[in-house]
Amino acid sequence: MTFWRRETREAELDEEVRTHLNMAAQTLTERGVAQKEAERAAKRDFGNVELTKEVTRDAWGGRWLQDLISDARYGLRMLSKNPGFTAIAVLTLALGIGSNSAVFSLIDALLLRSLDVPAPRELVRITFGPPGIDGPLSSPMFDRLRERQRVFTDIFAWTNGPMVLSNKGVARPITGAYATGSAFPTLKLKPRLGRLLTWQDDEPSALSNGVAAVISEDFWLEHFGGDPGVLGQPITVDGGTATIVGVMPGSFNGITVDYSPQVVLPFIFDVALHGKSSCRFRSDCTWFSAMARLEPGVTFAQAQADLAAIAGDVLKELLTEGYQRIDYLRNGTLSLIPGRTGNSPLGKVYGRELWTLQTLVGLLMIICCANLASLQLSRTLNRQHELVVRSALGAGRLRLVRQLVVESMLLSASGAAAGMLLSQWMSGLLVRYVEQSDFPVFLDLRPNLTILAAVIALAALTVILTGALPALNLTRLETEEMLRSGAQRAVGRKRHPLAARLLPGQVALSLVLTSLALLFAVSTGRLLRVDPGFRVKGITFFGVDFERRPEKGEARLDLYRKMLDGLRRAPGVEAASVVAVRPLGEGGIDESAAPVEGHGPEDKHLFENVVGPEYFTTAGTKILAGREISKFDRFGAIPVCVLNQAAANFFFPQQSPIGKHIRSTEPNPKRPSCEVVGVVTDAKYLSLRESAPPTIYYPYEQLPDFRWAGFITRSHHTSAAIAAFKDALRRYAPDTPFLPPMTMQRQLEDSIGKERLVAVLSLFFGGLALLLTSIGLYGLESQRVERRTPEIGLRMALGAQKSDMLWFVLREATFVFLIGLPLGLLLTFAACRFVGSLLYEMSPFDPRIHLIAVLSLVGAGLLASYVPARRAVKVDPMAALRYE
Amino acid sequence: MAEKKERYQNRIELLQGTLDLLVLQTLQWGPQHGYGISIAIRNHSGEILQVDTGSLYPALHRLEKQKLIKAEWKVSENKQRAKYYQLTAAGKKHLSRERSKWSQFSQAIAGVLNPEQT
Repeated sequence: MTFWRRETREAELDEEVRTHLNMAAQTLTERGVAQKEAERAAKRDFGNVELTKEVTRDAWGGRWLQDLISDARYGLRMLSKNPGFTAIAVLTLALGIGSNSAVFSLIDALLLRSLDVPAPRELVRITFGPPGIDGPLSSPMFDRLRERQRVFTDIFAWTNGPMVLSNKGVARPITGAYATGSAFPTLKLKPRLGRLLTWQDDEPSALSNGVAAVISEDFWLEHFGGDPGVLGQPITVDGGTATIVGVMPGSFNGITVDYSPQVVLPFIFDVALHGKSSCRFRSDCTWFSAMARLEPGVTFAQAQADLAAIAGDVLKELLTEGYQRIDYLRNGTLSLIPGRTGNSPLGKVYGRELWTLQTLVGLLMIICCANLASLQLSRTLNRQHELVVRSALGAGRLRLVRQLVVESMLLSASGAAAGMLLSQWMSGLLVRYVEQSDFPVFLDLRPNLTILAAVIALAALTVILTGALPALNLTRLETEEMLRSGAQRAVGRKRHPLAARLLPGQVALSLVLTSLALLFAVSTGRLLRVDPGFRVKGITFFGVDFERRPEKGEARLDLYRKMLDGLRRAPGVEAASVVAVRPLGEGGIDESAAPVEGHGPEDKHLFENVVGPEYFTTAGTKILAGREISKFDRFGAIPVCVLNQAAANFFFPQQSPIGKHIRSTEPNPKRPSCEVVGVVTDAKYLSLRESAPPTIYYPYEQLPDFRWAGFITRSHHTSAAIAAFKDALRRYAPDTPFLPPMTMQRQLEDSIGKERLVAVLSLFFGGLALLLTSIGLYGLESQRVERRTPEIGLRMALGAQKSDMLWFVLREATFVFLIGLPLGLLLTFAACRFVGSLLYEMSPFDPRIHLIAVLSLVGAGLLASYVPARRAVKVDPMAALRYE
Repeated sequence: MAEKKERYQNRIELLQGTLDLLVLQTLQWGPQHGYGISIAIRNHSGEILQVDTGSLYPALHRLEKQKLIKAEWKVSENKQRAKYYQLTAAGKKHLSRERSKWSQFSQAIAGVLNPEQT
C-alpha cells in the first residue's frame, strides 16, 4: 500500500459508500417511500458506516505503517511537551553512547582493526627480543630466516622513521618508511597509481639505475595535487634521491597503526646513503619489523613450531659474530605473533589503560540506562491517567505498548545521533592525549561498522529498558479500578518498585566510578609531584639534523660550539648545552661498563647519555661531588665521565668515585675507559614511574663521530629560546630544517600520557556518574513529593513538624544509600584488585580515598534530595487539602 | 505467493470464503457496483442471503488488492458516478477453481447428510 495514495483512497471510499446509500435510497423512493424516510432506511440497512469504512481500510493493508506514523507524531508531540525530560534523556543517552563509542573507536583503531589488505588473518609478525619485548630483527637475522623458512609464502621487513624531504632548497620533515622488496607482494597490495616496490627494487643492482620510491595517496594529493605525471619524478629524501614509481592505495597506512608513512623506500636506499656502515649489513642493528604471510593450509601453531626449530640455528650463527655480550641480543628469542592488525606500539602502551577506560564507560552506560529507565518510569507514572483514558476508549494494550516503544525509539535515535557527534569530538580529544612525541600521531578514527553496531546495540538496549518495561508494567494496571477510584489517588497509592530498585544499583556503580577516578587522579598527581632530578620549568629541547651539512669531524664540533655560543649570548636564554638523550623521551642508549680499580662488580648494564659542557647546570641536575663536564673535555684530553649516584654507589660502594676509572665492556667500545670526574643526583631517565637507573654521562666532544646530539636551553620564556635557536640555525646552518622543539614540561606530561588520560577521563566519567545519579535521585524524590502532597498537607495540618517532613522525604534517599553504599564498596574493592598495578606507589585500598568518594556521593545525593524536600516542607496544608 | 494466499483463505471461516465466491460469481455477469452486487446476491438467493455491507466492502477491497477483481469509476444508468468492479483473468480462474471446490464440498456435505442416496 503506497502511503501517499492513501488520502485519494479515503476519498474514494467515502464516495463509494455515499453512492451505495444514494442508490439504496433511490430504489426505495422509486417504490414510493418518502425521500427522508428512504434515506433513513438506507442508512439503517447499511449499518455502522464508520465501522464499515474502518474495516474496509484494514483490508488495504499497510495499517501498521499508518499507525506507526501517527505513533511517531504523537510521540514527538509528547516529547516536545516535556522539554526538560527530553533534554535530560537525550543528553544522558548521548553521554553514554558518545563516551562508549569514543573510547571504543580508539580501542578499535589501536588494537582491533585489521590492516586493509587481502586476507589479513594470514599475516603474522616475527619478533625478536628478550621475553616480553616484541622487538624488530637485525637484517642478517631476517636474511637467514628468509632463506630457511618453509611455512610462509614470503617474509618482509618494514622500518618506520622520520625523514627529511628537500625540495628546491627547502627542507621539511616527513614520515617515511623502509620496506624490503617482498613487502608489497606479500601484503598483496594493488597500487593506486603506477606500481609498488618489488624484489628487484631492493637489489644492489637498483643502486646503479636509481632507487625507486612509492608515496602515499594523501601525500600525492597534498604534495603533487593528484597529478598522474608524478610517476618518474625524482624525490630528495635524507639527502639521497629516488624516483617515484607509484602511489599506494589510500586505505593502506603502513603496517604500524599509529604511523602513516608518506614515502616508502626500499632498504637499499639506506645502503645508498650510508654505504658499508648501513644498518642493512650490521648484526647489532635491530631495526627490521618483520612480518610474513602464512602459506595456505599452514596453521599458526605449525608456523610457530617451524620457526622455533630454525630460530636456534639462526641466532647461534649470528651470535658467533661477537655480540654475545649484549644482553638484549643474548637473551633474545625469535617468536611469532598474529599480525592481522599490524604493529601497534601505542596499543601495547595504552592497551590496559584503554580497556580499563572501556570498562568504566561500560559502567557509565549502565548508569545512564538505569537513569533513563527511572526517568521514563516516573514520566509514565505521571501519564498513567492519559493511558488509562486511552485504554478505556478502546486502545489495545499492544497499541499502547507500541506507542511507548515508538516514543522511546525516537528518544534513543536522537540520543544515538547526538552521541555520535559527541563521540567524534571526544575521539579528537582522546587522540590529543595519546599524542606523544614531536611527531603527530596518525590515527584513523573513522567510526567503523563495529563501533556502529556497538552503538546501535547500546541504543537498542536503552530502548528495551526504557520503553517496553514501563509500558508492560503499566498496562497491567486494571483500567476500570483506576477510572473508578480517580487516577490521581490510585497513582498515589501505587509505588513504582522498579525505579526505587534501580537507584541503589546506580549509587553502587557511581561509587565504583568515583572511587576509581579519585584513585587514578591521586596517583597521577603523585607522579607529577615526583622529583625527577632535573628542572622542569623553562627547559626546552631542540633536535637538529646536521647530517646533510658539509661539516664533518672537528668542523661539526665547531658548528655545535658556534651554535652553543649563539644560544648563550641570545637575550632571555639563561643557559644552554648539548644533549643526546632527552630525559623521559622515547629511548636511550645502553652501555655496559665495569670499574677498573678495586674489586667492584663486573659488567653492569648502564644507561648512557652524551652531554655538552654545563649540561647539569642547564638541566638543573645537582652535582654532588667533583665537577661538571666542561668545554675543556675535548677530543685529545683525558677521557672523562660523570656518574649518577646510583651508578657511583654500585661501582664504588663506600668510597669516593672521583678520580677512579670506568671501562666500557661493550664489544666495540667508543673509548676503552674514562676517569670519573663528578657524581650527580639521580635523574629519571626513561620514565617517571621507574626509579632512576644507574647512568653514565660522557662529554659530547670526546665522541667526535657521535651523530645525534641536540640542544637544551634554559630560559624564562620558551619563546625566547625558540627565537634564539631559530636565529642561531639561520646564522650557522641555514639549510637545515627547523624541527619542532619540545619543552621539558611537555615531555614530562607526554611521558605520563596514559596516566593522565586515565585520570582525566575517569574523573570526567566519575563526575558524570555523580551527576546522573543525582538527577535520578532528584527525579524519584520530586515525583514522590508530588504524589504525596495531599498526604503531606494532611500530616502538617495534624501538627507534623517541618523536620518530620524533611525526614519523610529523606527517608527514601537514606534507604537508597543504605543499600547502595555497601554494595558499591564491595564492587569497588573487587575492582581495586585489578587496578592496583596502574597506580603509582599507592595502595588501591587507601581508606581516605574511598571515604572521600563516599562523602562526595552522599553529598551529591543530599543536594539532589534537598530541593524536593524543601518543596515538601513548604507545602501549604490548606492548599493541599483543598486540592484533595 | 499464490500458494500462500490460498492457504490463508482456506484457513478463513467458511462464511467469508463463501462471500468471496458469491461476489466473484455475481461479477461473472458483468461489471457491477457495490450496491448492485448486494442486490444481485440477495435476489439470486431468493432473498435468503442478506449481505452485510460491513462484510461486503472489506471483501471487495480485499479481492481488489489480491488482483482478482479490478475497479473503475463509471457513470451508472441513473447518471451517478459509481465504482464498478469487474473480474480479472486471475479472478475468473480463481472463480472456476473455487466453484469446483465448492461443489465438491457441498456434495460431500450432502453425502454425509443423506448417506442412503449414494
